[in-house]
Amino acid sequence: MERPARRRVPRRLRTPYAPALALALVAGGFAAWAGQDWYDAAHDDRAAYAVQRDRALAAGEQAVQNLNTLDHRDLDRGLDLWEASTTGELREQLTAGRDAFAGQVKEAETVSTARVLSGAVTELDDRAGRARVLVALRVTVRAADGTRTDKDSRMLGELTRTDGRWKLSALGQAPVGGAPAG
Amino acid sequence: MTRTWLSRGAGAREPGSGRDAAGERPETPAPEAEPGVDVPEDASAEADALDERSSGAVPGAGRREEPSGAEPGDGPGGRPGNGRPRDSRSRGPRLRAVAAGTTAVLVLGGCGFLHAAHQLRSDESARNRALTDTEATSRVAGDVGNALARIFSYTPDGTAATERSARTALDGKAARQYTALFDRVREDLTAQRVTLSTRAVRTGVVELDGDRARLLVFLDQTSRRGEDAATTAAAQLTVTARLEDDRWRIVDIEPR
Repeated sequence: MERPARRRVPRRLRTPYAPALALALVAGGFAAWAGQDWYDAAHDDRAAYAVQRDRALAAGEQAVQNLNTLDHRDLDRGLDLWEASTTGELREQLTAGRDAFAGQVKEAETVSTARVLSGAVTELDDRAGRARVLVALRVTVRAADGTRTDKDSRMLGELTRTDGRWKLSALGQAPVGGAPAG
Repeated sequence: MTRTWLSRGAGAREPGSGRDAAGERPETPAPEAEPGVDVPEDASAEADALDERSSGAVPGAGRREEPSGAEPGDGPGGRPGNGRPRDSRSRGPRLRAVAAGTTAVLVLGGCGFLHAAHQLRSDESARNRALTDTEATSRVAGDVGNALARIFSYTPDGTAATERSARTALDGKAARQYTALFDRVREDLTAQRVTLSTRAVRTGVVELDGDRARLLVFLDQTSRRGEDAATTAAAQLTVTARLEDDRWRIVDIEPR
């Protein structure tokens, strides 16, 4: 403290503000670093990708469940839901076969309820808006005579993003004894 | 100690002090004069030093006090060696306030950014590395698929090898369940000449967070009893795995 006092005037002038200035600079550095950190986190491709993955899985599980659920007493609502959950070729197939299928279910008087046991996304192309999911499903079918049968099935679904929403574009049973894949 | 101190003090006082005894005064004029000279000298030196110091500090303080009276904000700013009062009066407080304000805003802003970044990162979607970390995802899927294929494949005479690989691939609850199951069926397997071969046909990673993973696995299991024709059955499992010593080990298996 004594040495600056001996120096020339301009030096002496600045000295007391140096700590304040240094503090402000350090604070500025901290803020810049934190801002960069936030920017990185907000624009993390992986985070955006993770969000799409979770959306695809949620939509896929729901769609698979919808497509395995049908009550003969409320066919129209059930089949509308089928169409709302699907897109592309699968939707076309369902629409084309809707009347014939409705007739069959009406005649059989079955009530199917599905429950998703587990699901996972195996592939996700965020840019193309395509994803593949595995879904383990338990379908309970109640026949006209009241007997219930549980059937576990493993489904492979393909999802396509249309207008920002993931919808099923293909669905099938995972083949047993077939060629291994994924 | 006290005695030594007292005796020495008394001895020390004897020659130099004139205040010791009034009767001794005329006998020892020289010793009396010496301290008499010394004391004023010392005192004046000390006083000079004080004067010097105070002449440096007191007038300076006085000078600073004037402006601080005019502008109270200057008070804490006044420090020794703090140059010209006029400058510090006009620029000091404002500069200080600006610096303090800027610092506070920057620190607060930085903390806000960090908090927001933390929220983004701790989001459940972001924490789950399934598929986002492709390398880790395919590794855990491969490890678990292979492990399941090994532990659920055996020949009538090769159950020991299967159990050996199960010991390295399984841990925790899964290991206990597997051992219990194998203890029950081991003899039957040999007696009935059962061969089982298992293949993981589809493996999906549901969740991957650091050293824990949950997977959905579709298995094809082909079994043959003696010379009978082989039959293939489908199985769905939810598997929990843990990364230990850089190896994924299955800790829980739940049939679906």
